Amino acid sequence: MISERVKRSLSREFKGSRLAQLGVVLVLLLFLVATFAPFLALHDPTTTRIGTGGTEDLSELPPLGFSYTEQRVTPSGSETVEITARQTFPLGTNALGQDIYSRLLYGARVSLLVGLLGALLATAIGVPYGLVAGYFGDRIDDTLMRGADVMLAFPSLVLAIALVGVFRDSDVHTTTVPDPFVHAARSDIVPNVLIPRAAHVAEMPASFTFPVTVTLVVALVNWVWFARVARGEAMSVRAEEFIKAARSAGASDWRILRQHVLPNSLTPIIVLATIQVAAIILLESALSFLGFSGTDLTWGADISDGRSDQRSYWWIATMPGLAIVLAVIGVNLLGDWLRDALDPSIEGEGGV
Amino acid sequence: MGLAKFLIKRLLQGVVVTWGVVTVVFFLRYLTPGDPTATLLPPDAGPEVRQRLRENLGLDQPLYVQYYDYITDLVVLDFGESMSSGREVAGLVASRLPATIELAVAATFVAVVLAIPLGVISARRRREPVDYGATLFSLIGISTPNFWLGVMLIIFVGVHVDVIPTTGRQMGLRTALFALSNGSASELGQWAAQLVLPAITLGTYFTALITRLTRSGMLEELGQSYVTACRAKGLPETLTLYKHVLRNTLIPIVTVLGLQLGTLIGGAVITETVFAWPGLGRFLITSINNRDWTSIQGTIIVIGVGFVLINIVVDSLYAYLDPRVTAE
Repeated sequence: MISERVKRSLSREFKGSRLAQLGVVLVLLLFLVATFAPFLALHDPTTTRIGTGGTEDLSELPPLGFSYTEQRVTPSGSETVEITARQTFPLGTNALGQDIYSRLLYGARVSLLVGLLGALLATAIGVPYGLVAGYFGDRIDDTLMRGADVMLAFPSLVLAIALVGVFRDSDVHTTTVPDPFVHAARSDIVPNVLIPRAAHVAEMPASFTFPVTVTLVVALVNWVWFARVARGEAMSVRAEEFIKAARSAGASDWRILRQHVLPNSLTPIIVLATIQVAAIILLESALSFLGFSGTDLTWGADISDGRSDQRSYWWIATMPGLAIVLAVIGVNLLGDWLRDALDPSIEGEGGV
Repeated sequence: MGLAKFLIKRLLQGVVVTWGVVTVVFFLRYLTPGDPTATLLPPDAGPEVRQRLRENLGLDQPLYVQYYDYITDLVVLDFGESMSSGREVAGLVASRLPATIELAVAATFVAVVLAIPLGVISARRRREPVDYGATLFSLIGISTPNFWLGVMLIIFVGVHVDVIPTTGRQMGLRTALFALSNGSASELGQWAAQLVLPAITLGTYFTALITRLTRSGMLEELGQSYVTACRAKGLPETLTLYKHVLRNTLIPIVTVLGLQLGTLIGGAVITETVFAWPGLGRFLITSINNRDWTSIQGTIIVIGVGFVLINIVVDSLYAYLDPRVTAE
């Protein structure tokens, strides 16, 4: 399906652009981290260490290379304690003593899954809608696109907030997804010698919470962009000679749409889908920052935690934000690469 | 088709879209799981009390009657009473509107003032350090979540610079201007200082986006032969760049800005939350947390309709910049 010409222009653009290479590296890293989080994590990301029940208080440890002093009340008065970083908590801990590094790895799962599934769902809704509008034109187009205009009249975050508010109390707000690696490490089905660090993996959480409502909402908010692009493509493809040829050979509208219009509209849709993954990761982080996501193991929720803490614990909010920026830069650069290689005419913005 | 006819057509479209917005908002409420009276009454309220409340709210009427009442109320700007405070939603929304408008205008101002010169310089000095710097800045700018930027600004700047308040809005522009007319300028300074961090937070994404657009648009235009003609006749470079090339570049910039205004308004919602800025966005979040449906509806309608209006203004500006638009 991928032609030689496309491969050539992708590789030419890739070799010539440092930014495209950086983008691919960042996205690969994001995929690896999200998939293999149980192997890479140093601790269970949900374990708290606030010093109750005789355990050591490890809350608000600074990242490696930093330290700070704190007044602590002791039975004999108060004393100044120096809090230093620990090797086993490289990026420090939050107010509950949870390991920030491990939380970042698990947060990548939610961001990436919501980003990919949200973009996929938005494509599945928007592309057929736009293709039908653009292919049939006239009254059908007018009606369908007025509907899309109404969707566009809501700023996406406002609509998303409203929809999450609506569906927040429903039963399917979140779902727990079992972690296959952890299950394999805990059971005897797969010999444990085949799993690297099996004992370590077995101690990780057996499942993670996936925000269903948020994924549906980001798709419902963003499908319109796919509809607009697909419509534009269908309008220009429909005028081509080969469509007339297909029609005169007796092909039905449905067949023409599927066999001819869709394949010829794919390039800009793929580019848009890539850029939308970045937009959806940002939207998801905003929703979880506001506390609407239903799970607290996400980058946005961790930023919100760090904000309510005292300002001297700067790393708690800083680290997850850096993770978001790197992930979104990676996906955006990947999108720029695809756009420059496949279709330089899309949406004016030229890269470097 | 003349400009007037174009505007009339655009306004009519706006009315249809507004009707759509209002209808969607009406039905949103009916998608909510659970009984709306549950949030209004204590859990131990008896069924008769519940029934009386439903009658008072008109919830026992058929849906089309409720819809008719809702539309006729909206036409006279009656958004109902807040379910949590009992005050008129229209008044609550109106009192929060100035804060949001100040924030949005300040952010747009920051973006336009910084981004356009940056984009022009970047295109003029292509492949020089200043261009790489601007490109890097705009890449990071469009990839940074603005709420995080706000939190970072509070942690790393706000606490160290005493002049700049990090939360809240001590006064509106009207109060500051009133003080100025009485001969006291310090209020205006305070008013501007409280806006600095929120405006940077909200404006950074747009600064980055406009820089990117200006740069690529300028690069495209600089290759045109009229640029050579301007230079050949000895026009100063600044005049060529800003009067001729930039003007042609503005057209795509205005288009994209119009499409991105939704992001600005959405961004305002979250910026207001970070800075405890008493605008519409914070009101929306509070209302959602209180499950105060009348306030949620009122806020979303005002935001949606405001957005439709702004888009009409942007389209008119576009028609003015590029007369070809009206010649369909």
